[in-house]
This record gives sequence, structure tokens and C-alpha cells, in this order.
Amino acid sequence: MALRGNVYRILEDIVGPQNISEEPVILDTYAFQWLAETISGTKFCTRPEAVLLPGNVEEVQAIIKACNRYGIRYKAFSTGWGPWNTVEGEGVLQLDLRRMNRILEIDEKNMYAVVEPYVIGSQLQVEAMRKGLNCHLIGAGANTSILASATSMAGYGLTGIFTGYSNCNVLAVEWVLPDGEVLRLGSLGSGAGWFGGDGPGPSLRGVMRGMIGALGGLGVFTKCGVKLYPWYGPPTTPIEGIHPLDGMPIPESFRVHSLTFPSWEALADAVYRIGEAEIGYVMGRALPPGLIPALNVGSATEYAQMLQLVSTEGMMDEFKYAIQIFLGANSARELEYQERALEEILSESGGKIILMLEEQSVKNILFRHLIKSEGISRVFQLAGTFATSLGAGTSWDAAVASSKFGEQLKRKYIERGAIADDGGDLAWGGAYQHGRFGHLEEIIMYDFQDADSLKGADEYVEESAQATIEKSLGQPISIVRGMAEHFGPTSCDYHIWMRRIKKAFDPNITADPSFYIEPEQPPGK
Amino acid sequence: MTLQDYRNDIQRCSRCSLCKWLPLAQIKSWRFANACPSMVWGNFHAYSAGGRMIAALSLLDGRIDYTDKLVEIVYQCQMGGACDVSCKVNRDLDPLEVMLELRAKCVEDGQVLPAHMVMIESLRSDDNVLGELKAERGKWAEDLDVKDITKEKADVLYFAGCRYSFDQDLWKIARDTIALLKMAGVDVGISGKEEACCGGRAFEIGYRGEFTKYAEHSIETWNAADVRTVVTSCSDCYGAFKFHYPRIGKKMNFEVLHITEYLDRLIKEGRLKPTKKVPLQVTYHDPCHLGRLSEPYIPWEGVERKVLGQVVIKDPPKEYRRGTNGIYEPPRDVLRSIQGLELVEMERIKEYAWCCGAGGGVMEAYPEFAQWTADERIEEAKATGAEALVTACPWCERSFRDALEHNGAKIKLYDIVELLLEAL
Ligand SMILES: Cc1cc2nc3c(=O)[nH]c(=O)nc-3n(C[C@H](O)[C@H](O)[C@@H](O)COP(=O)(O)OP(=O)(O)OC[C@H]3O[C@@H](n4cnc5c(N)ncnc54)[C@H](O)[C@@H]3O)c2cc1C
Ligand code: SF4
Ligand code: SF4
Repeated sequence: MALRGNVYRILEDIVGPQNISEEPVILDTYAFQWLAETISGTKFCTRPEAVLLPGNVEEVQAIIKACNRYGIRYKAFSTGWGPWNTVEGEGVLQLDLRRMNRILEIDEKNMYAVVEPYVIGSQLQVEAMRKGLNCHLIGAGANTSILASATSMAGYGLTGIFTGYSNCNVLAVEWVLPDGEVLRLGSLGSGAGWFGGDGPGPSLRGVMRGMIGALGGLGVFTKCGVKLYPWYGPPTTPIEGIHPLDGMPIPESFRVHSLTFPSWEALADAVYRIGEAEIGYVMGRALPPGLIPALNVGSATEYAQMLQLVSTEGMMDEFKYAIQIFLGANSARELEYQERALEEILSESGGKIILMLEEQSVKNILFRHLIKSEGISRVFQLAGTFATSLGAGTSWDAAVASSKFGEQLKRKYIERGAIADDGGDLAWGGAYQHGRFGHLEEIIMYDFQDADSLKGADEYVEESAQATIEKSLGQPISIVRGMAEHFGPTSCDYHIWMRRIKKAFDPNITADPSFYIEPEQPPGK
Repeated sequence: MTLQDYRNDIQRCSRCSLCKWLPLAQIKSWRFANACPSMVWGNFHAYSAGGRMIAALSLLDGRIDYTDKLVEIVYQCQMGGACDVSCKVNRDLDPLEVMLELRAKCVEDGQVLPAHMVMIESLRSDDNVLGELKAERGKWAEDLDVKDITKEKADVLYFAGCRYSFDQDLWKIARDTIALLKMAGVDVGISGKEEACCGGRAFEIGYRGEFTKYAEHSIETWNAADVRTVVTSCSDCYGAFKFHYPRIGKKMNFEVLHITEYLDRLIKEGRLKPTKKVPLQVTYHDPCHLGRLSEPYIPWEGVERKVLGQVVIKDPPKEYRRGTNGIYEPPRDVLRSIQGLELVEMERIKEYAWCCGAGGGVMEAYPEFAQWTADERIEEAKATGAEALVTACPWCERSFRDALEHNGAKIKLYDIVELLLEAL
């Protein structure tokens, strides 16, 4: 079904002929996604009807108004990584926001930045660092959009002990509502600039994104303010060495360690203590045992060889109850305090520094990976793809409990030969906001081109999701589609509220609800 | 390997878009964070390396058919390979090889561009891609006192390449090169009008038959003439010798050097002594074909095997080209050897360099895109504050000259050879 001639022309008039396409080759590049095979059985999800590249808020608004007038759905995205960016059903427009790519402001004094959707993490980070500041980067990588994470989806990252979670980093927002009206949230709503998310002016943070985000189901966010944090390193961050052994020299103001503990319990306690002491710039399980070998290898084959080696030599045991921590401070005394606090926490919890990872070159690599947030796509390297499970944003103790369960469950699938044998423990995540909450997601790596492996991975994800209800492990990170229907009843019926929000904000159902919530309850539910 | 052979790898693309950017840790500013000219120019995902991989998969799977748009997407790319370097930071994929195979398939299926046909016609009739007469090929050196290697032996064969042979604006650089070599006492010869195209451009635009013909011709001729050292000052040709020639599996009994490598060697051996001051602040543009695209081709034949349950490994292990072994220091060392000259670096350098715009048949088929790409590089050069942009390739030189003519930017342009000659 092509767009009716006049509709295409109307949209073309809005964005210009260069910025709209119905070409199958172009559409297919928006339908192809990671995990598509779990939805459609192929690498392609539904093709959008057309792709539009709006260049500013006025164009977005005009498109949405036209969609309301002609009964057309749309789905917007920022960088578009992941199946939740794809459209569902026929005739849906894809709005690729990449032409809206400016950093509008970095307010050094008040420590915030204002960005458009297609500013990626690395871009904001390097500009902020020049001014002695840093931004919250998510674990997905600094190739993702700052705004998308702030306004529309999740927000976990390993500096979270220091920089929090994306829903608390978002400040004022410019939001084109599903009916085409522009709403300015927070201080922007009262003409006071971008510094506040909750006022002076309207605060709708909970409605706009809540914990997980509306995943494109509630209109389009065109600008937002985000908090910035102190950066204790130099204004520019040179990289030394040749890939994959390239590292970022650790500035005087930082310490980098990997810590190991005698048990999950000891690790959990230590993390709480670290949070209470308000120390740490980076903290979490950046390198669960199965990812250790990925740190400095050049290929999947080398990674696999290394994984085999460390598994057989029992080296993985050292990393069983391990976390990485970076301390950072703006004075020698503050850094000394943090070091002493960490020493005390280690001695009380029976923890120790992993000497094997104390070598300077290794620490430099780790520093690059985590400060620049650029290592995660390694999880695609071993088997071709990965999926994740469990990982509720919850208390740190509950996160630890879920990862213990996750490892057990994974072993079943490893023994079946369905997923990569990474040793079983690939629980990735951390504790955020000085330990107020945390998350650990259990990652599996599998070969989607192998029917048994794909089937096994699907079953694992399904079984782990089901277990989160049975074992009260919190809402999993894995099922994004239909998640609210499934988990709402176990969590204060939040799906009912979401549905009401969807109906109130989007009476004509123009914003593709497929990864948010269907406005009507599906029959039989 | 054919496009079909890359099908598994293509499907493993995660659509992460990392190929659009410099490797993340290498990004130094908002302004110069992009790696892929095609993506910034075309904006739809299809114009990225990842996008072209998806297009290739759609084509293989019969989801799409050839259209003008598909052909434009395939060819609106300089094949400079910055995408490939960025992708490989964390992945074992070969987006550049896939794009090369996609072009070969297009040509096989008759999906070609008129502008490229003109190049190929010229190749077939006159052994060059510039539409010039073969008989004119040696003209750039007509009155030079240099040996004709087809008549007498010389230690070094200087290979001018099509651009230096026919682009009269650039003849001076080729002539300066000969002058430098002679000053160093090098026994150098040229092939004059007997020289033929290296075939590299034909390879890049998908014409495998033509490429093989020229590669075989060069290797056989030079092997037969017992040539020991080939020196070229064209980075494109150099890249072809290093990256593409090994693909045909013919032994090359000669060493190939880029002029910057050779001059660096001559300076270090004391055979050239740059003593005159050249007070100039310059920035150096790494030509793609001298940098990441000159990294030698690594042949691999093998199979995928499973270990550790579902871990997919290549057996035998496959080595990947990551651009780190390109020619980066020799040109810089030559510049550093010149007294009074100060080298300041741009943000995107070495294997992360932004393309000049000329490669992959773009200059011929999409001149506006080529010029915009060059404009971008000139902006980056200007941002360093340098007075001059220096390069080491006639295609880059041509691209920058054209851009400077139309954008009027106030920055001087040199080839390294010109500056070195000034210093002697
Ligand atoms: C390999 C991988 C690892 C991941 N790891 C993490 C992680 O560690 N932490 C984490 O928090 N998340 C993670 N994610 C999830 C997700 O990619 C991010 O949360 C997302 O915010 C990243 O930004 P993006 O640019 O990719 O967003 P996009 O992919 O562009 O968008 C994400 C969602 O938000 C919607 N959206 C985006 N921009 C807008 C807009 N301007 N207006 C309206 N809707 C919009 C889209 O429709 C989509 O549903 C991961 C994803 C992948 C693929
Ligand atoms: S080609 Fe590589 S870098 Fe580009 S989207 Fe695919 S996996 Fe990512
Ligand atoms: S070769 Fe250059 S233009 Fe082509 S996709 Fe790669 S980076 Fe982009």
C-alpha cells in the first residue's frame, strides 16, 4: 500500500523531496533490526510505508498534524538501534530524526546541556569534557542518542553510581504530542529556560517516560535538557596504543580497580557500602566472567580461544563475584578519602583488588571502555547476536538475587547446547544513584542463524520472564512488546494507567503503540 | 569471496550505526565526529555501510529489485573504508568487502552508471580512466632527463598513474618527484606512454574483468623486466598494488613503495638533506588509499565452525585489516624533516581520516558530492589554524583544488614533494 498521491505530496511539501522516501531499498534498511528474527523469523520487521527526515520541530508538528488528519500512524526514533524502533502494521511512517543533530547549549555554570535527538553520547561527552563536565552515558554505547535515553527509553549506564539513571537526568523537554500540539515541560513551560524538569512549569515526567519510556508511543521529543556532571580528567582524552590494545591513560584524579569478593552476599553488601560512602565514578559488573576475555582481543576467534583458556584454567573463579570501580575526585584529599573508604569496605567485606587486572595497560583499556562507553557491541561478536533477560530496576539485593537465578537457568540452556557457553554468568549492570537502586541483566549469546539456537534463546527469554513473576524478581528487561499487559497485573496494574494515558494523549492513535501499549485491551486478556 | 559468501556476516550486522562515526573513543568534537561522507550526504540509513549491507541482503533474498535509487546508493560512496575501521572496533565484519562485492554484482547484472562506463570505455581503448589518448601518456615527462624503462634498465621504476599522467595542472608534482629522486642519486626510469592504468579504480567500481587484466599486465610486465622497486606518488595506485593486486594470486617479484616511504628512506639514509627553512604551519591529509586502504590484503579461505556451544569461529582463524598498518608515519616524518615547517594535526587522521571525496568513482559520477566531501575536509583543515593543507595523492589534490576553486577558502594546498623540494 503506497501513500495516496496527495498525502505523499503533502508530506513531501513539509520536509522537501530529499527528505522523504518510499523506495523499497531505503525502507528495508529501517525494517532490518537486531532481534528481528524473534519477531518475524527473518532479519526484517515490518517495512514502514515511507521514511521521513524532518529537520525541526515545525516539520515534526506538521507531519503529526497531517497524520491526524489522514489517519496515518508514525514512529519516531533518534539513532534507531533495536527492534522497538520498527513499525507495526501497514501504512506506518518512520520518522528518522537524524537531521535534528545540534547541541544547542552547554551551560557550564548550571551544569546542563540542551540537545536535539540525533546528538550521540560521544558528541555531547567530548564537548562537555572541554568544560570540565561529563554526561550520563548508557551501557548500550555512546553511539546512542542522549535525548532518546532521557525521554523515551530506559537509561542504565555504568557511571550510574555517580550520574544516576536517564529519567532523573532529563530536564526541560520540547514534546510534540500525538495530536500535534507542542508541549514544553518543566522550566521551559514557564519560559524560564532548560534547567528544570519539574518546574517552574508543568512536570509530566512520569507520564512522559516513567521508568522505561514510551518507546515512540507518545509522540515525538524534539529537544531536551540533560544534567551534566563534573569530569575530573583533562579537557581532551587522548587514546594511546593500537587497537585492540588501545587505552585511555588514567588521569591523576582517577583510580581504576577490579574487585572480587568471597560471595554474592559480600559483593552485595560492599556495593551498598560504596553507595553509602558516596564514592565511585563508575561502578558495576562491566566485566562479568564471560566478558573478561573480550577485553583485549581482536576477533571472535581469539575471544573464543581466550574464553576456553580461562575457563579451563579456572581463572573465571576470580571474576565470579567481581565488580569494576573507578574512583574520581577533584582534589587529592577527596581521592584519598575515597581510596581509604574503599579499603575499609574491602577489609570489612572480605573483598580484594584483582591483581591480574592491575596492569596499567589493562586498566587503560578498561578506562577507555567505560568512560567512553564503547565496548558493548562485543556481545554480538561471539555467536552473532545476544539477548538479555531479567534485569529489573530494583533494589541491589534483588538484582543480585535475579542474577543468581539467571545463571542457574542459563546453565540449562548451555548444557542443551542452545546458547554460547560463556561460563553461565554474564550478569551485567550496576547500582545507581549511590546505590539507591540497581539492575543486573543476564545476557545470553546465541547464533540466530541456527534454528536450534534461536529456539533455545527464545525459550530462555520466555522462561526467565515467566520466572520473574513466579519468583517476584521484578519486571524483566527482555520483553518490550506487550510487556505492560503481561506485568501490569503484578505491578499495581500500571498497564491500565498507561492505556488511559495513551487514549488521553493520542485520541486518534497516530503514534504507533506497538512497543508502548495498545489503546484497547486485547481480547481474552 | 562473492557477495553470497558474505551472507552470514551481513546478517550479523547489528544496525548499531557505529560505521557512521569515528570509533567512539576517537571522537574529539561534535563537528568532526562523522566518519562516513555518504551518510552525511544521503542521510537515510541506506547510505551507510551498514545500510548497504542490508541492501545487499535484500537483493540476495529477492526482497528488492534493482532501481535507480538502489544503484545510486551503491555508487554514492567513495569506498574509502572509514566505516570498515569503525565497525571492526568491536566486530569481525567486513563491510568494505561486502560493498566491493555488491558493486561487482551490480556490474555483473548490468547495473552500471554512464559515468563509469565512460571510464571503462577509456580504459579499454586507451589504458586510462580519464578519457585521454594513450599516445599522450608520457607527455608529462617529455623533456625530462629520465630513463625509459622499456628501453633500458633502472633500479627504480617510477609509476605515474593516470591522474599524474594526464592532469596537466599536476604535472609539476610528478616532475618535481623525478627531480627529487635524481637529486638523491636514484637510478630511476619511467614507462612513458607504455605505462597503463593500475586497474584499481576499475576494481573499486565493480569491473573485475578489467581489473584482473590490468593487474596481470602490470605484474607480468614488471616481473619480466626484472623490475625490483616500483615507486609511485599516486596513493590510489599504491592502494591498488597493496590491497587489490594480491587478490589475483600472482607473485609480485618487486617491492612497491609510495613516494613518501621512499623519500623518508632517502632522508634517513642521508641521501636527501632538507636544509632550507620552509616556515609554514601545515596540516596533513592522509589519503585513504595510502592509509587504511594500503594495508596489505590478507587472504583467507576457510569455514565457520562452532565451539563452546554456539560460538562461531573462523577456521583457520581469520586475520582482519583494521587500518592500523597503513602508511602514516613516513609522510609525517618527511614533513618533520623540513626545518621551519610545523605540522598540526586535524581531528580525523590516519586510519580515521575523512575522505577527500574523489575515490570509488564518485568524482566522475557525483561531482557535487565529491566537492562537498572535500569542502568538509578543508573546513577541518582550517579549524587547525594551519596555513596549508598538504597531501600525497593526485586524486586528493585534484579534489581539493576543485573545492578550493569554488569555495574560495583561504588555505594553501601542497603535495609533500613540493615542500620537500623547496627545502633542498
Ligand atoms: C546492544 C544494546 C544494548 C543496550 N544497552 C542498554 C543499556 O545498557 N542501557 C539502556 O538504558 N538501554 C540499553 N539499550 C536500549 C536502548 O537502545 C536505549 O535505551 C536507547 O535509549 C538508546 O538510544 P537510541 O538512540 O538507540 O534510541 P532509539 O533506538 O532511537 O530509540 C529508542 C526508543 O525510543 C523511541 N524514541 C527515540 N527517540 C525518540 C524521540 N525523539 N521521540 C519519540 N520517541 C523516540 C524510539 O521509537 C524507540 O522505541 C540497549 C540496546 C541495544 C541495542
Ligand atoms: S556495518 Fe558494522 S558498524 Fe555498521 S551497523 Fe553493521 S555492525 Fe554496526
Ligand atoms: S566507504 Fe566511505 S563513504 Fe562508503 S560507506 Fe564507508 S565511510 Fe561511507
